[in-house]
Amino acid sequence: MTVLRAIGAVPEAVAVLALPPMLLSIIAKTKAWFGGRDGPPWLQPYYDLMKLLRKGVVYSRTTTWVFRAGPIVNLAALLCAATLIPVFSDDTLLGFGGDVILIAYLLALGRMLTVLAAMDTGSSFEGMGASREVTFGTMSEPALFLSFVVLALATKSLSLAEMLGAPLQAAWGDVAPAMLLVVAALLIVLLTETCRVPVDDPATHLELTMIHEVMVLDHSGPDFAYITYAAALKFLLLGSILVHAALPHASWALWIDAPLRVVELAVLAMLVGVIESSLARLRLQRVSLLLAGAFVLSGLAAVLTFYRTHA
Amino acid sequence: MTLTVLLLLAVPLLFGALCLVLPTSGLRLSALVAGSMTHLAVVIRSWTSVERVAADDLLGTDPLGHLMLTLISVLFAVTSVYFVGYHRKRLISQRVFLACMLGLLAALSMVCLSQHFGLLWVALEAASLAATPLIYFRLGARALEATWKFLLMNSVGVALALLGIFCVALSTTGVGEPVSLTVLELVRGAESLDPVWLRSGFLLALVGFGTKMGLAPLHSWKPDAYGEAPPPVAALLAGGMTLGAFVCILRVVQVCSAAGLAEFASFWLIAFGLFSIATAAVFVVGNNDYRRLAAYTSVEHMGVLVVGIGLGVAGSYASMLHAMHNMLNKGALFFLAGFLWRLHGTNRISLVRGTISRSPVAGVLLLGTLCATCGLPPFGMFFSELGIILAAASQGQWWVLALFVTTLAVVFVGVMTAMLPVVFGDPPQAESMIATTGTEPRWRRGVMLSAAAVLLGLGFGLGVYQPDSVRRALDEAAQSIARPQAQAIAALEQPEVHP
Amino acid sequence: MSVETATDLVLVMVILLDLGMLTVSRLATTVRFFALQSLLLAFLPLAAATFEGQAPGMHALVIAGGTITLKVVLIPTILLRIIRTGEIHREIEPFIGFTASVLLGAALVVVSFAITARLPVPREPVSNLIVPASLSTVLIGLLTLVSRLKAITQVVGFLILENGIFIFGLLLIEQTPLLVEMGILLDLFVGVFIMAIVVYHIRREFDHMDTHLLDELREA
Repeated sequence: MTVLRAIGAVPEAVAVLALPPMLLSIIAKTKAWFGGRDGPPWLQPYYDLMKLLRKGVVYSRTTTWVFRAGPIVNLAALLCAATLIPVFSDDTLLGFGGDVILIAYLLALGRMLTVLAAMDTGSSFEGMGASREVTFGTMSEPALFLSFVVLALATKSLSLAEMLGAPLQAAWGDVAPAMLLVVAALLIVLLTETCRVPVDDPATHLELTMIHEVMVLDHSGPDFAYITYAAALKFLLLGSILVHAALPHASWALWIDAPLRVVELAVLAMLVGVIESSLARLRLQRVSLLLAGAFVLSGLAAVLTFYRTHA
Repeated sequence: MTLTVLLLLAVPLLFGALCLVLPTSGLRLSALVAGSMTHLAVVIRSWTSVERVAADDLLGTDPLGHLMLTLISVLFAVTSVYFVGYHRKRLISQRVFLACMLGLLAALSMVCLSQHFGLLWVALEAASLAATPLIYFRLGARALEATWKFLLMNSVGVALALLGIFCVALSTTGVGEPVSLTVLELVRGAESLDPVWLRSGFLLALVGFGTKMGLAPLHSWKPDAYGEAPPPVAALLAGGMTLGAFVCILRVVQVCSAAGLAEFASFWLIAFGLFSIATAAVFVVGNNDYRRLAAYTSVEHMGVLVVGIGLGVAGSYASMLHAMHNMLNKGALFFLAGFLWRLHGTNRISLVRGTISRSPVAGVLLLGTLCATCGLPPFGMFFSELGIILAAASQGQWWVLALFVTTLAVVFVGVMTAMLPVVFGDPPQAESMIATTGTEPRWRRGVMLSAAAVLLGLGFGLGVYQPDSVRRALDEAAQSIARPQAQAIAALEQPEVHP
Repeated sequence: MSVETATDLVLVMVILLDLGMLTVSRLATTVRFFALQSLLLAFLPLAAATFEGQAPGMHALVIAGGTITLKVVLIPTILLRIIRTGEIHREIEPFIGFTASVLLGAALVVVSFAITARLPVPREPVSNLIVPASLSTVLIGLLTLVSRLKAITQVVGFLILENGIFIFGLLLIEQTPLLVEMGILLDLFVGVFIMAIVVYHIRREFDHMDTHLLDELREA
């Protein structure tokens, strides 16, 4: 890594940390427009986070250290993942061969601690949310992994920065159908992991129908701020993977590449807003079908890629 | 295409159309009889001046197709007479029914005459479509169920066979210029066919056409359809349509044996055949419905046919003989089943007793038919099954021989223990059924029984004494399975040798 | 976009529609999926002809036209009419659950790719996805046939199977005479027509279209 790149990493890191709540804001604005409203101010998510950080924390007496560790470990895991996933440029801070596996496990670690913290409260609602989160997680993780496998097969590399970089552009020429399938699968994974509409409704007020929200009912103050921020960061990271996979433009100059990525992420956020506004939530039984669909799409893409490159 | 071929297809279609337009039931029935008799006459006449297929004919007579065509034609002729006796005015629509019957004859003739695999498929599918309304003859839930199973399973089976034909076709594309899919062309270029695709094609075709033929494990439509269809239709299906499907399998076998895959084909033919006989043996024992029982013996005989083909030229000869006797025997068996149904009004074996005392002629005929079905001498099936046993022995296939004999013995015991009480037994005391069936005009019974007697008599006669011409026809057909179209190919090569 | 890429895309869409048909719960949607799949297939003979380096000839045009007329217009119309008139339960009640059947279907797709890898096609076809796409469609058609109980879904399963065979036939387009191809299409149409009639009778007889009640006939 050159010195120049090291210096450049500082503003990049700042941007990556600053952007996530903005994406939430874009989604909220899009939904508001669809509903014919003005919507909250652009900086509302930031205000919310500041407010939560200033508040005190309440811990139930039945909880243990697991409950306190949940939000922090989750955020830490996602921050670690952020150093491995290319967001604005096509390389990463700490990428190495095989880092995709670490990324997948960091996401899984965050999920595990969130789930454990939810169960630690002993509340039946949270237990139910945890059970749903894990059920859907077991189906979205294979889809994510299979998508990684496809990218790895197509680019013959195991480092995420390379899998999403220059070799991918060639792969789009060779196995375009497979790449389209992977993008579709990644979109479903994104919607599932960030608890968006066809799977989960972030705006619902009925605990019985919640998935993610119901798990974090007992968190308050800074803990809840970490959770909210971590959710936004997760959207940014998975969104970056999706955007990089869908539109590889490696080896463009950084000054045009980086702003373009920001625009693409904003467009993705708007797309999610449109999906949320136009689709209804699926019945819980049909969610598993959707996730099986994502799994099948990425599996089919893997078969196609393998067939093309080996036969 | 010659005049004969044209006539063979046009005659049934023409009379079928007549059946649709003629005003009265009597006229329509005579059109049916006239149609099948004319067809038979054309077929018999075609034997006097045999002309074999030329290079690029889509339709034509080769020894195998010609033999099967003759068998089917005989069966249709006799069945049409029987139907006149059996027929009552409780049909879906007599016009449609009779037209479908003649349509079935036309489609089956086309199956036997087709030299092109695509055409063969189209004809066979047309045959199963023509047969569907025939099965839905009696209306009601049970007939509907049988029709649905027949239609769906046959359609799927035949679709798989189409995939098989495509695989065979694909095996030719490595050669260079496209080869036409006629049997003759494929056999001529057999050395250069791609064996992998040919094998897949053979297996798919065996499964697909095997479904239509009623080979286990895809036979399950058969007892339902034969049990619910009116007996004359069951006779046509069991003795005629199965032969059509058998021809289709044999066409693929011809290509395979020309391409040097005879051993591979034999293995699978014997495997399917033995499995079918064994399945039939399991279901025959303890069966309480004589029409379903007859259907299972049909599964058994299909198995015997296929096993014979797998055992070389000697086995093929026995198999051809078996095909002939199967036609005669299934015809007689289902004719008598129809007669029993009219006599007793039930399908259940336990309710039908003492036929011989109620109708001595029917009893004797039934006994004879049962003996023929089980392969007792002097009926023809004894000689064909013996031929297969000898062929297996001469090839040293002892396992095949042992299984074959054991399962046949089980079927024999099963059929006889079930059916002998039907023939002899004490007639039930409550003779209430007589009231419903006694009103049947005598001429109807006479027609029905004499049709059965003709077929049984033919079976007996051909078992006791086989004329040379019959022997030659069977032999040529059997030879042509191992060395298909030898004459035609020789004729094609001739001019090149002596310009 | 080259012919090859376009054909690849079409075939992938075909496979996706196969899998899609396993997920939808409405009878009418299944039939519409089938019509869409057939429309995609009608494009393939033209692509195959273009790939051979000539303008689509009479043969390819007639097949494409016949496919559109029969499989996109006539057959779906008949089936939709049957579904619309009289059937109250328009939802599919599968024998194997939706998620399970999709996963099973995906496994069948993988199997067909694996089989294809062992069966080399003698001559370079327009797309090397033809054989796997055809096999997967055939297998998923069979899966639909055995796992769904409504008579209509069984007909659709048979039609999917037939579509798979149609794809396979593209490899042989110049070898089969037009007469035979037309015969195959006609047989298919008449077959489906008769099936539709039988379905109609089943409904009248039993008041619904479930085939699992067709179990009167069996060994006593």
